Amino acid sequence: MSSVFLLWVGGAITLSGAVFCLIGALGLLRLPDVYARMHAASVVDTLGMLLLVLGMLVIEGFSQNALKLLMIAVFVLFTTPVAAHALSRAALREIEPQLDSKKQDAAEPP
Amino acid sequence: MALLVATTLALVACMVMILARALLGPTVYDRVMAVNTFGTTTVMMIAMVGYLMGRPEFLDIAIAYALINFIGTVAVLKFFEVGILGADSSSPSEPSAREKPVE
Amino acid sequence: MTENLLILLLLVMLIVIAVAVHRLRSLFAAAMLFGLFSLVAALAYVLLDAVDVALTEAAVGAGISTILMLSTLALTHQRTEARHRRHLAALCTVIFTGAVLLWATTDMPGFADPESPVHQHLAPYFLQESASDIGIPNAVTSILASYRGYDTLGEVVVVFTAGVAVLGLLGGRRSSGRQRREED
Repeated sequence: MSSVFLLWVGGAITLSGAVFCLIGALGLLRLPDVYARMHAASVVDTLGMLLLVLGMLVIEGFSQNALKLLMIAVFVLFTTPVAAHALSRAALREIEPQLDSKKQDAAEPP
Repeated sequence: MALLVATTLALVACMVMILARALLGPTVYDRVMAVNTFGTTTVMMIAMVGYLMGRPEFLDIAIAYALINFIGTVAVLKFFEVGILGADSSSPSEPSAREKPVE
Repeated sequence: MTENLLILLLLVMLIVIAVAVHRLRSLFAAAMLFGLFSLVAALAYVLLDAVDVALTEAAVGAGISTILMLSTLALTHQRTEARHRRHLAALCTVIFTGAVLLWATTDMPGFADPESPVHQHLAPYFLQESASDIGIPNAVTSILASYRGYDTLGEVVVVFTAGVAVLGLLGGRRSSGRQRREED
């Protein structure tokens, strides 16, 4: 009984994480330049991923697999900021960030 | 279980959108970022499918994927940072497309 | 049902990525998309229950071959030559070969058919006895590492030789080249 309940709670949490992933992916697709898209992609890598892992943890309970899930979360949390930092550093050499929102509205969409 | 199926489908929709960004470009950084995010989504997807199919041992593969994704992304970005792509910056066959990586 | 739908979607994605890789002029972007291709392929393998193949595909396709392609790109041009000639004979050959191969698959037993010859003779023995014979719970591992151990040793020698040769090709340029190169 309680495991069915936990399955529903975990499923709801994973679904909310997937919704955040969808928001991030939509931003990745729609936002105008690299830096804005990076901002959207970070939603997938942090909140979306964490909620998904949390939901699976709720479904799993305490076990060896829960430890593996935590390891996945830790790996992703360690690695994606490093990758995003290196990416933005590399991009900054070549692409001018569109900081001014008015200018950006005036500019042609890429 | 219906919620897990819905989550998996949402992740697939996510993957499609990220894939569209990777295909559209326009700069090479967009592609690198899209591939990185796609890797995270794939890791989550494998773990989700493991629970969906009742085989949570797929988590081992998800861990391996997270590490491979990191290695791949760092290799690509190191490629940028160290500047090994800049070998033929004077090459005449290089048009000034936005696709060109950093010198 | 959901699984089949997912596999179908992944296969469509594979086709889209393959067409995009073919059409891209920038080789760097093509290398990136190639990594994406093998991630999607590995996901399809996971869904098809071929977990070890998926692991290999991810490690080799998304990891090593991306790095090797980037290393190669550092030594060559980064864009393909625009080439507009069409080879009609080559197209015909490819279509003919593909049609023959497709026609040949109609003779194959159905997917996961328990009556097919593969599952009749040796497979039950290996599945049931390998754990007590070798002492490794995974049947694939015990076959690869023990029953056909010499064969695997030969493969490893071949792969190692190829790796040394590739490293020699890529690294020789570094010592005499102008720019620093880091091995990954």
